[in-house]
Amino acid sequence: MAATPVALPLPAAKPARARAISALATLARRRAALTAANPRQILVPLLTPILFATVIAPALKTALGGLHTNIDYTAFVSVGTVGLLVPLAATFAGLSVLVDRDSGAQRELLAAPVPRGLLVIGNLLVVLAMCAFQVVALIGVAALRGADFHVTASGIAWFAGAAVLFAVFMYGIAETLASRMPQQEEYIAATPVIAIVPWFFAGALFPIAALPAALTAFAKVLPLTHAMALMRYGLVDPKGTGLHDIWGMSNTTVEAFLSLGVVLAFAAVLTLVAIRMFSRSAVR
Amino acid sequence: MNAIEIAGLRKTYPGGVEAVRGIGFDVVPGEVFGLLGPNGAGKSTTIGMLTTTIVPTAGRARLDGHDVAADPLAARRVSSVVFQEAVVDRGLTGRANLELHGRLWGIPAERAALRISELTEALGLSEQIDRAVGSYSGGQRRRLEIARALVSNPRVLFLDEPTVGLDPRIRHELLDVIASLRAREEMTILLTTHYLDEAQRLCDRVAIMHRGEIVGLDTPAALLADLGDEILELRVSGDAGAALMTLRERGVATDVAFAVGSTLTIPLAGRPAADAITAVNDSGVRAAGVTTRASTLDDVYLRLTGSELAAAA
Repeated sequence: MAATPVALPLPAAKPARARAISALATLARRRAALTAANPRQILVPLLTPILFATVIAPALKTALGGLHTNIDYTAFVSVGTVGLLVPLAATFAGLSVLVDRDSGAQRELLAAPVPRGLLVIGNLLVVLAMCAFQVVALIGVAALRGADFHVTASGIAWFAGAAVLFAVFMYGIAETLASRMPQQEEYIAATPVIAIVPWFFAGALFPIAALPAALTAFAKVLPLTHAMALMRYGLVDPKGTGLHDIWGMSNTTVEAFLSLGVVLAFAAVLTLVAIRMFSRSAVR
Repeated sequence: MNAIEIAGLRKTYPGGVEAVRGIGFDVVPGEVFGLLGPNGAGKSTTIGMLTTTIVPTAGRARLDGHDVAADPLAARRVSSVVFQEAVVDRGLTGRANLELHGRLWGIPAERAALRISELTEALGLSEQIDRAVGSYSGGQRRRLEIARALVSNPRVLFLDEPTVGLDPRIRHELLDVIASLRAREEMTILLTTHYLDEAQRLCDRVAIMHRGEIVGLDTPAALLADLGDEILELRVSGDAGAALMTLRERGVATDVAFAVGSTLTIPLAGRPAADAITAVNDSGVRAAGVTTRASTLDDVYLRLTGSELAAAA
């Protein structure tokens, strides 16, 4: 080994906001690099939703005749499977927080001169990018399989807004669980409950009005129900049938904003909870 | 201004476990300070409080003038840590791990690149630096972690048991690396270890921790001075405490002699070893084995922390 190098002077401190933005970009870049190094994390969550959208939905449409409305059932289920894809992707991403803590560089990040909440936000940015890629892939594959989407600029905006806020909400749950659970095994055991169970109640394969009244009432409080109704309003069902099933109002736009508000509220609360839980779990 | 200032630092975990019980010391810039003690002595909790991952229950700690509780970001900005366990992104290259540290500590990219180049050369990592860290040997990974901690040119460097779990050759190599860090300007090193030879070799001063308290703090030479240069070590077959008391009554052993298990450690304090052995034989203490050797920090440590029998005697 050669001689130790000469010490360099410390750099001048940047303003706090510039430091925070730079740190956030660094943390997001790190998470992106780790995610890219493990492509299975991106591809595996896609598999089940794509099979639902391209195999099960067309088969059910053929066997049962669809929804008996002007809504294309394959497109209806394709958007419904976004409600499965996003939770799976978010919870898988949450697992990497546990890996970071148990065998990765989390302690180095905690020793860094950056606010610890930025670690959560940096991860979230990458999860949003990953979900965006996955959702576009899913919708693209469904379209190739014959799903009939109604694509308008405002519709895409509703779809994207709902999908982004729902992904933020789901990642908030994933980070919170990862901060609370001491072992990866416990986290993995909780994944089906968090990622899959709500999907059965939220009208992924059928309108929630088809459920018994008690389950319909339950479905209305799930953020996934609101998110899926919004996404369908954007891409599949311009009349907003799903939104009417939730709110029972005559003005679809108002219903859409109300559902967006619900998903936004869940996303904001869970993100704040996730940051608080992570920051608290980082110190003893 | 001291690089590290600690006063009345205390940590009590939920459930009432007192891990650190009001310790205090100052470390001057450029000093290598050792924190010695066995597992559970409170070393890691102390490092945790200094690196702001453990919240002190009471007391004060400052790094380069920045209070770790009131201004943790500033305290973290002037310090770096090499952790006891592997704390790296194994899926990334060594260079990516170093660059990440540079960016998080706000080092401009060009300066970080120059620094990384110097450090990888200095620490013998040039050939591995662009490989994924998952492929590194234990020694390479350790050197990478040391290089990473130095990318930001910290004023205070924490080395938490840096050689634990390494084979002797790599351990020796790393001790050379750490010794070479002493040449760096303005960098203060706080090293925790339970290998006393490491502390003796590397540290300007050492604090010996036992059950959350500092039971000895001085230069290695001063700590050894109490014991003198030579030690008489007796293994006794009977009650070691009673044997020690007998030897003290007969003037063979002084107050600094101590017993741990069935072994008596008796500083000779300039007395010829042959005279001492004769005195032991005359005292009626039955010795199963007698050796003489140079005193070490192990003796200081055992006297300060493992001397219940001596205290009872």
